[in-house]
Amino acid sequence: MAQDSTPSVAIVGGGPSGCYLAQFLRKEFKESRITIFDSLPLPYGLIRFGVAPDHVGTKAVAAQFDRLFEVEGVEFVGNTEIGKDKQLDDVLNEYDVVVLATGLGGDRKMGIPGETLAGIYGAGRITRLINSHPFETLDGLEVGSVLAIIGHGNVAIDLIRLSLLAPQQLTMHGVHREVAEKIASSTVSQIYVVGRSGIEHAKFDPAMIRELEKIPGVKFISDAKISSHDDKEVQKRIEALNHLVRSSPPSAARTVNFFFGWQPDMIHGNAKVQSIAFKSKSDEILELRVDTIYTAIGFEQAEGSLIHLENLISSESDLAHGFIRDRLYCVGWLRRGPQGTIPVNRADAKKVSERIIQDLRDKTLVKVRERQ
Amino acid sequence: MNKSITILFGTESGNAEFAAEDMASEVLDRSVEVIDMSDFEVDTFSKENLYLIICSTHGEGELPSGALPFHEALQTMNPDLTGIEYAMFGLGDSSYENYSKGSEHIDSKLSSLGATRVGEYGRHDADTGTLPSARAVAWVREILKAY
Repeated sequence: MAQDSTPSVAIVGGGPSGCYLAQFLRKEFKESRITIFDSLPLPYGLIRFGVAPDHVGTKAVAAQFDRLFEVEGVEFVGNTEIGKDKQLDDVLNEYDVVVLATGLGGDRKMGIPGETLAGIYGAGRITRLINSHPFETLDGLEVGSVLAIIGHGNVAIDLIRLSLLAPQQLTMHGVHREVAEKIASSTVSQIYVVGRSGIEHAKFDPAMIRELEKIPGVKFISDAKISSHDDKEVQKRIEALNHLVRSSPPSAARTVNFFFGWQPDMIHGNAKVQSIAFKSKSDEILELRVDTIYTAIGFEQAEGSLIHLENLISSESDLAHGFIRDRLYCVGWLRRGPQGTIPVNRADAKKVSERIIQDLRDKTLVKVRERQ
Repeated sequence: MNKSITILFGTESGNAEFAAEDMASEVLDRSVEVIDMSDFEVDTFSKENLYLIICSTHGEGELPSGALPFHEALQTMNPDLTGIEYAMFGLGDSSYENYSKGSEHIDSKLSSLGATRVGEYGRHDADTGTLPSARAVAWVREILKAY
């Protein structure tokens, strides 16, 4: 009979949430069989394929997880999508506890006419491509000289920076030369960065804006309507952007315009995007002629995902602590939606690990080998 | 007699905790414990121990969430730390302003309460793309030789 100190655990998804969860469970269950399944041949999900390649400090967290597999005896099973290569029920039969950590890997859509025209790309596709994701290719990707980036989160700011860096600044971080030359293209002369909220609700961090100051030969412009705010965090954001605008050269070969308070309304074009129109709250129209659009307005369940939380939950579920049903749990973005950085998902994994450990202590979990 | 070692870590992404555990495995000749700052009672500082403190930096040179309760408790309880010895290791990323500032908040708080910092102020720069462990371990070896 299995000992209570050695429950076996399967984690579905080897991104940051799944790996942090494995860390916390390994601390408690030193002898347990812990397996991480991932649809890709390599672990680390968003750390590997979402974090910008020049943010080496953020990517370094992966070295923590290397130790899980190299020293801590956690097993990685790649190329295995649960629901296709192996069924969830089979995993539940093989392991005492199963935790879903599949994240939310799809780019959220704008939901406006013209969205399917050529020349419009989700931020996820661009960051996967730049990070050498095994299933992402350059096929059909054309980056022109006038680019609109939709969204004001840190991913949008990543895209500004990656578009303006010299290609060799990306290849030195391991980006393929063809990809670097396509995305960090010197032919980009104009970038519009458009968000639906005012600067007081924009989501980017001031540090991300300050990083843009290091890129030479770019004029920055902003239409932010307020220049001070009572909220300390908002004030920092305003000051960072003001400083960027003021310290940029009065004229330069490349220009970046920040627009605040404009909601995407319609994309025009004939097969290929030619312009995008926005509406303000007071129904003013802003129309920008562009040849390329990147959308960075958040994430949702990827098309073709096989794990759907809504099909698994019931009235007994306690999603606040990651409990779906007996022996089945969820963690990270899949559990609570696409908000929060990598460290926030560590706190999430800690919370869910505590619930799992508690349930095992209470013996509410019936172990696989006892059931059979 | 050598003092016992208490390693206190304040973390956001887990890097400081990871390094703290590696630091602990360097301590062979005396007792050692690793404690999350969030779980540490500030009225239990003891002159019998040497405190090795490792703390990261969050956002704009702020404390990581794992160090906030500790810092707040020092602030409100104002313990007399005269005679308490500690050594400090800070984490940060030099591609941001306020590099390694997080640990300095703890450092200045402890000194203002009377504690004495010993040894070199250790630092690790995440912009190197490495984890702090190797540097922190080398730092601990030097501290242990001297204290």
